Formats: sequence, structure tokens, C-alpha cells
Amino acid sequence: MQMDFSYRETWLHKINPSLKLLVVVILFIHILSINNINFIITYTVGALVLYMCCTGHSSKNLFLISIPFLFIFLTSSTSMIFFGKGDVTWFKWGLIDITEESFFRGLHLGFRGILFAILGIVFSLTTRPVLLFYSLMQQVKLKPKFAYSFMAAVRLIPIIVEEMQTLRYALKVRGVEGQKGILGFYNKLTAYSIPLLSQSIRRAHRIAVAMEAKRFSDSTYRTYYYKIGFSKFDVLFVLYFILVIVVSYFTSIYLPYFSIQDVRYFN
Amino acid sequence: MQKGLKLTDILVTIIIALIFSVIYKLWGPLYGIVSTFGIQLEQLIYGMWFIAATVAYLIIRKPGVALLAEVAAANGEFIFGGEWGVATLVFGLGQGLAAELVFMAFRYKRYDVMTVSLAAVASGIASIFIDYYYSYIGDLALWNLFLMIGFRLTGSILIAGLFAYFIVQALEKTQVTNLVRPASSDDYKALD
Repeated sequence: MQMDFSYRETWLHKINPSLKLLVVVILFIHILSINNINFIITYTVGALVLYMCCTGHSSKNLFLISIPFLFIFLTSSTSMIFFGKGDVTWFKWGLIDITEESFFRGLHLGFRGILFAILGIVFSLTTRPVLLFYSLMQQVKLKPKFAYSFMAAVRLIPIIVEEMQTLRYALKVRGVEGQKGILGFYNKLTAYSIPLLSQSIRRAHRIAVAMEAKRFSDSTYRTYYYKIGFSKFDVLFVLYFILVIVVSYFTSIYLPYFSIQDVRYFN
Repeated sequence: MQKGLKLTDILVTIIIALIFSVIYKLWGPLYGIVSTFGIQLEQLIYGMWFIAATVAYLIIRKPGVALLAEVAAANGEFIFGGEWGVATLVFGLGQGLAAELVFMAFRYKRYDVMTVSLAAVASGIASIFIDYYYSYIGDLALWNLFLMIGFRLTGSILIAGLFAYFIVQALEKTQVTNLVRPASSDDYKALD
């Protein structure tokens, strides 16, 4: 299938990548401290607006990308809904015990999972890895040897994917049949990982030797092809999330969707 | 021995990590499918997310490699749009640190299956610890919680411990590991 990944540049692309990463990590920590399901639902809607309107990708792609989100909702919530602690039983069948508390706690976890997923995907859809590492070198003083290694490695991924495709054809042509069970899984793992790993290590080693031969230096006093600074969009990004948090906080107090305020279990 | 990691070590570690980050990314949907069975079966394959640290350490055998590999792999999964988003970064850091601490406890001198499995278990425990805040696992029914912890640790020993060890053993036969490992005392003896 041919997929078109072209996109418009939006204001989210112009934010300083290090700042964007920092904000997303701070939001992560903040979200972990939220135990009120009403709070997190509005929060999720706020992040969803960014995802739908501001990433600059076509709505078809956005739809395709969002399919795994539903899985995330299910994987994060089902265990808790079925097997969580609670007192007000709604449904009991064998080991499954759905209670009011466990249901809302599961729902909360589902929203939490989706919220992290949206924040992450908004970040990755609007950040070019190269600019992220340039920014990390310039603003966070990440050592160039880490940043350039990462950028070189990202460039090698397409080659690895191509090699994997070749391997698949080669195994197919030779009639290698997959076995079932844990041994089959191990055989498959080695059949792919050994050639891929060994070739990649050789290639990475060659690149590193070449870089050093060309006088790659690890000094942080260096010139950069891309100079990355700050702009008004950084302020806008921070303000947007402050707004989302304030609005979610007040709706959770004055206009709650559910009467439950804290999804944790207390004896 | 030269102090710290050289450019070669870092580049090789990161490329290994990125290969695994592609696998991590593909592992997400598989995890999702398995977890629809409900009874924590998905925890058996959770161990795949710890494998970058152990494989990279076994290949390069230097301090700091396990942490760098796991963080880089998590970062890769994050950049490629992994389903868990930011959470991946925090889990990666925790798991990498845990594995690194185990290797440090053995002073980076042991490369056997025991040490690697211990590191895998340590990563598993770190992930459970983060999950305590992340997924309220303390609020699961007790039998379910034990099932989850048991499955996750079993899976991590099997995948990040045993499989990682056997993969690297197979890799040693290709001689490629000699490119990146520091010279051991055996190598010096061979010169005499």
C-alpha cells in the first residue's frame, strides 16, 4: 500500500523540540498525579483537539494512525474493569467481578493511556528527529557523539527494513516453514535477528571509523547547520496546555460527568 | 582501558537499540491482541521490552551500555509513534537503570546467563514499580496481581534473559562481536 505522508507545516512544527519534549514529560508526570476521571476526560479532549486540527497531516492518515489508540484503551482498561477491587458489584461470573469502582478505574486508565498516546503521537508527527537532536545539542548540551550517533542510526533504519524484506523472501524461496510454539518463535527470532544484527553492527562500526577518520570531534564548541532558538509559538504551546489544565480542573469541580472524584480504592 | 564509551561503542549500541525499537513498535499491536484474552496472558510477552539492554550489554560488555541501549530503544519507539507515547520514555529509563545496576553489581565482569536473567528480572521489577503509579496495579484483585507479576517476570527471564543470551551466542559465531568488545585478558595471553 502506498501511503502519502506529506503534511503542512503548522505552528506545532515551529516549536522548539527540546521545549516540546520537556513540556510533554512534565504533562506526563502531572497526568500521573490525576486520580479524578472527570479531570482526565476534559484533558484528553484538549489534547485531541491538537491532534485533529494542528498536526497538519491529512485526516485519512490521522484516522489510520488512531486505530491503535482503541487497542490502547482496551489493553489499559480491561484487566482493571474485570478484576479490580471494589465493593458495589455490577456483574459477577466466575473470576470476573465487575464493580462500579473497578469499572470507573478501568475507564480512567483507558483515558490515561489514550492521553499519553495522543501527546506522544502529536510530538512525533510534528517533530523531525534531526531537528530534535540539533536542538538537544544546542539547548540541553547533549554530547554530539550521542546526537550524531542517533541521527546516523535513524538513517540506517530504512536499509535494515529493506534487508528484513530480502531475508523474508530468501527464507520463503528456500521453503523455510515456521514451526509452532516457543521453539518456532526462537528459530524465527534467530533467523531474522542474527543477520540483521551482524550486518548492522558491521555497518555501524564502519561509519564510526569513517567519522573519526574525518575528524569528528566531541567538543561542544562547534558550529551547527541548523540553528534552533525559541519563538512565540513556544509560549503559545505552554499557554495552550495551561488553559486545558485550568478548564479541565474547573469542569471537574463544577460540571462533573460522573459523581466519582477519586478512582483509587480505599478501605 | 580508555575511560567511557567511544564513538564506535555509542553508534553500535544505538543502532542495536533502534533495531529493537522497531521490534518494540511492532510488539505493541501484538501485545494488544494477546491482551484481549483478559487473564494477563499478555504479560508473558512483556519481556521483549527489556531485551535491548541485555543484548547490547552482552555484545559490547562495557559500563553504561545497557542504560544507553534501553533509553535509546525507548526513544526510538517514542519517535516512531509508539502507542504508549511519553510513558515509554519513563519506562525505558527505569528498566535501563535497573539492568545497569545489576551489571554494575557484578562489576561488569560477568556475561553469563545468570547475570543476564537477573538483569531482566530487575528490569521487570522496575516496570512493575512504575506500573504501580501508572496502572494502579495495587488495586487489582490479589490473585490477578500475582498472576500478572508472575507472568511478567517469567516472560522477562525467558525473552530478555535466555533469548538474549542465545542470540548473542549465535552472533559470536559470526565474529562480529570482536569488532566492538574490549580486549580481554585471554586476548593478551594469546599474544605471549
